[in-house]
Amino acid sequence: MTPGRPGDNAGPPRLPPRRAGPPAALVEVVGMLCVLVGLIVVFGLLTEHFFSRTTFYMIAAQVPDAAIAAVGMTFVLIIAGIDLSVGSVLALGGAVLGVAIVRWHVPVPLAVSACLAVGLLCGAVNGLVTVAWRLPSFIVTLGMLEVARGATMTVLDSRTAYVGSAIEGISEAAFLYLPVPFVLALLTVAGGQLVLTYTAFGRHVVAVGSSEETARLCGVNVPAVKLRVFALCGLLASLAGVMQVSRAASANPNAGTGFELETIAAVVIGGTSLMGGRGSVVRSFFGVMIIAVLTSGLAQLGVQDPTKRIITGLVIVAAVVLDYYRQRLGRRPA
Amino acid sequence: MRRTVLALVVVAGLVVCGCGDGRPAEGDKPRVALIMKSLANEFFKTMEDGARAHQQANAAKYGLICNGIKDEQDVQKQIDIVNQMIAQKVDAIVIAPADSKALVPHCKKAQAAGIVVVNIDNKLDDAVLAEQGIRVPFVGPDNRKGARLAGEYLAKKLAAGDEVALVEGRPNALNGIQRKLGFEDAMKAAGMKIVSSQSGYWETENATKVVGGMITQHPDLKAVLCANDSMALGAVSALKAAGKLGKVLVVGFDNISAVQGLMKDGRVLCTVDQHADRIAVYGIEYALEILDKKTTPADRETPVDLIVPDGVQVPIDPVQ
Repeated sequence: MTPGRPGDNAGPPRLPPRRAGPPAALVEVVGMLCVLVGLIVVFGLLTEHFFSRTTFYMIAAQVPDAAIAAVGMTFVLIIAGIDLSVGSVLALGGAVLGVAIVRWHVPVPLAVSACLAVGLLCGAVNGLVTVAWRLPSFIVTLGMLEVARGATMTVLDSRTAYVGSAIEGISEAAFLYLPVPFVLALLTVAGGQLVLTYTAFGRHVVAVGSSEETARLCGVNVPAVKLRVFALCGLLASLAGVMQVSRAASANPNAGTGFELETIAAVVIGGTSLMGGRGSVVRSFFGVMIIAVLTSGLAQLGVQDPTKRIITGLVIVAAVVLDYYRQRLGRRPA
Repeated sequence: MRRTVLALVVVAGLVVCGCGDGRPAEGDKPRVALIMKSLANEFFKTMEDGARAHQQANAAKYGLICNGIKDEQDVQKQIDIVNQMIAQKVDAIVIAPADSKALVPHCKKAQAAGIVVVNIDNKLDDAVLAEQGIRVPFVGPDNRKGARLAGEYLAKKLAAGDEVALVEGRPNALNGIQRKLGFEDAMKAAGMKIVSSQSGYWETENATKVVGGMITQHPDLKAVLCANDSMALGAVSALKAAGKLGKVLVVGFDNISAVQGLMKDGRVLCTVDQHADRIAVYGIEYALEILDKKTTPADRETPVDLIVPDGVQVPIDPVQ
């Protein structure tokens, strides 16, 4: 499929040297971990019950959708693209899932497959149009944002579908005291990072993002890489949709409104460049966690809404500024 | 290849336009424009369906043009629609304003063009109406009363001094504010303690996060009152994650179809039905009456019912 598989000696020359071996990756994560721990400590001091099992269990129950979508978005940003349609694709996937179960009485595994297929299809169309006409993904995925939202409303007839116990099992199940969706999200993050760091495909993704022209000259099939990245992002967005539907026990036509910006913010907090060529899935996950802890903490404080928004905005910018200094420190010894 | 695609797109576009809004048949019968808020919202969708059904049953009496905006904050788009309807020279405009102040001057413009304007759902601001020197009859439910009824029903299941929390709608939405006030009226009257009140922006996901914070911070919380049913769904999902289903009561508003299942499962205590399908119809009937009899416009209140699990409607406010 890909020109040059891992361990293939005759493959194309090694593309940009990869910096992030495991220890280096650990160092990269330290800064974000500090921000996260800092936030937890602050909220722990400010509120009475923040340090409780419930708080952390609830955060674990709430992040899977954002964490999974952030994996796909990280890949998209690394190839210097953007996907504005993830929120709508999430909603469309959820709508298909909900309607399949409630109206068509399809067994759950089949309904989930249909949901994922729809996400994959939306992502593939995004990729195909972007590649075929060499269009900016910004505008292509903006189109998909509208199309998928319209399709969602059509499928659901603009009404929230209550799915109930058929789908709740997924979010209620626990594995090692952790909600199953959270475990699934961790696996997706780990898998995404492994693919990015250790496979030829992962390195091609970084190469395309660094310089498309160089990558092409080095023998990378640029359109194929892009297409797959967008398809992956669509697929993961619909998987996030499964998580939301199972959590709310219902499919909502307005689900995921503004989700794309939330996801992009988390990924950028994680230090992935909007210019492409640089990024880490694990760090995106920390970005998601920072936003989740912040949301949960502010809700526990009962902060008034305008204040909530101001604080959230400031923390996002502060995290990115901190990352700038971390990078400068990181570069100095090299 | 590209040309084929282009042609397909154009054809598709034509098809879409062709079977778009059912253009009213021309003739002597009056044309009524129904201008709503977000069609993505089940409430307005129900409203539109009700209006279309009514028009089909009364096709000889009037023609109907339905329009809505993408989301409830798209005030500018709604203003554009009002102006398009003025240009279309419709006989009456029935409008659920996205903003209770910004739309007033445009309603004035419509009246100046000889169009009957009826305000439904979200009441135009009295002060701005007075300032512009116009009167627009309002046909709609009393949100505050509806919320108070739900609150009073809840209070019977609680003891005085119990802790409760509110999940508000979008901060600038008048109906959301009215519902919050209604909940507060009932809770204060029954001596409950409101320990937190935060906005869930009408959406399930936001409410999940907000309620998640509330129940950890206030472990003794006994009830959550939500300004709409979508947020009640979110509250239920947060309670589920915290293992507090059944220990904390949930109240909703709007009676969307999804909430029926939740009430049957005992996860939502009660909700309030404003009969969305009738609201636009009342507005249209009122507009036709004004056109016909040239009566002086006065406000008209539409019914609000408390809905409890066993499917019993508790009629509160029979029309007229």
